[in-house]
Amino acid sequence: MSTAQFDNNELEHLLVRCASKDPAALESLYERVSGQLLAVVMHILRRRDLAEDILQEVFIRIWQQAGQYDQLRGRPLAWMISIARYRAIDLLRGQRRVVSLVEEELPEELIATDGASESIEESTRTQRALRDCLKILTVPQQRCLALAYQEGLSHEAVAASMQQPLGTVKSWIRRALQSLRRCLES
Amino acid sequence: MNYERGELIEMLAAEYVLGTLRGPARRRFERLCAANAAADAARIRWEDRLAALALQLKPEQPRDEVWRRIRGAIGADARAPSVARPRWVRWLPLAAAAALLGFAVWLGPRLGLGPAPTLVVTVLGEDTAHAQWRIERTADAHRLRIVTIATLAANPDKTYELWALPRDGKPPVSLGLLPRHGDIARPLSATQSAALLTAGKLAVSIEPPGGSPTGAPTGPVVMVGVI
Repeated sequence: MSTAQFDNNELEHLLVRCASKDPAALESLYERVSGQLLAVVMHILRRRDLAEDILQEVFIRIWQQAGQYDQLRGRPLAWMISIARYRAIDLLRGQRRVVSLVEEELPEELIATDGASESIEESTRTQRALRDCLKILTVPQQRCLALAYQEGLSHEAVAASMQQPLGTVKSWIRRALQSLRRCLES
Repeated sequence: MNYERGELIEMLAAEYVLGTLRGPARRRFERLCAANAAADAARIRWEDRLAALALQLKPEQPRDEVWRRIRGAIGADARAPSVARPRWVRWLPLAAAAALLGFAVWLGPRLGLGPAPTLVVTVLGEDTAHAQWRIERTADAHRLRIVTIATLAANPDKTYELWALPRDGKPPVSLGLLPRHGDIARPLSATQSAALLTAGKLAVSIEPPGGSPTGAPTGPVVMVGVI
C-alpha cells in the first residue's frame, strides 16, 4: 500500500468498464484509490466514520457517473479526488467544525524533502510540475495552501490557525495561486 | 476573451478548487461552470494542478465493511451474470480471445504497434448524412486512428489536413494529413496528444500537397467535428 502507484491509463480503463456496469472494475478501482481518497476526506472531516460514509457515497457516484467521465480530460485520479473533496467540503459547511489545530502535527512545509514520504509516485507531468512550482512560494504561502486544500479550511479558519489578519491570508493565498499559475504556464 | 474577465474566472476557479470559495459564491461558480466552457476548463485545469497536494497525504485503509456496503448498494445495478452453460463452452471464447491477445501483445512491439486506438473522438463529414472520416484515439492519446468511411474523389492537388482546435482559444495544432482511403493509425507527439486531449473540436482544412507550409491552416476549413 505504501508504495502504491497510480497509472492513469489503467484507472481510465477501469472507469470505462464501470460505465458498462462491471462490478469487478469498481472493486479494482476501490483497491487502487480508496486509501488515498479516504485520506483526502479524513483530513477535511477529521472523523473516520463520517469520512467512510463519504467514501461510500463517492464510490457509488463513480459507479453511476463513470459514463459521464470525460475521457478527454485524461486525468481520472484528479476527477475522483475532486468528487471526494467537494463532497467533504460541502458537508463541512453544514457542520461549522470548531477548529483547533494547535495539537495537529501539520507539516511546516508542503514540500517533502525526499520522495519516500510521498505515498504515491506522481505519474503525470502536471503533478511533478506542481511540486517544482510550489518551491517558489514562501513558506507561509505554502502553509496557507495546505491548510485550505488538504484540511479544507476557509479563509477565516486559515487566518485563525496562522494567527494572521484575514486580509493578509487572503492576499497570500491569492498571490500563491497567481505565482503557481505563472510558474506552471511558463 | 476579455482579459480581465478571463483573469477573474481563473482566480474563481482556483479558489473553488482550493476550497476557499464558499457559500453562495461557490454555488454561483458551479452554475457558471455548467453554462460556460471557459470556466469549466479553468476548473478542470486547477483540479489537475492541485491534485498533487492530495497525493502528499498518507493513504488511510478503509474498514472492510465500507466495500461491503458499496458492493451491496451497487448490486442491483451490476451487469447480469451470463446465462448458465457448460463451463468449457463459457471459457472457450475467452481462451480464444486470450490467445489472440497474447499473440497481438507478442506481435505488437515487433511491428512497432501500440495499443489499438478505440475511443471515437469524432466523425467528420460535410454533414451528418455524409460522414467522411472517423477519428479514434487510444486512452492515453498517444496514437490516432483514422478510418475513411467514404473514399474521396481523386483530386491530387487537394490535401486534407486534420487540426485539433483547443478549447482555450490557442492556435490549432496539426494532427497530420488525412488519407483518401483506407484505415491508418499513427503515433502522436506529446504536443499533439496534449492538444487532442484539450481540444473541443477537430477541423479539416484544404492544404497544398504535403500539408500546410506554415504550421497553421492556410486553406478553407471544410469540416468541423465537435468532440
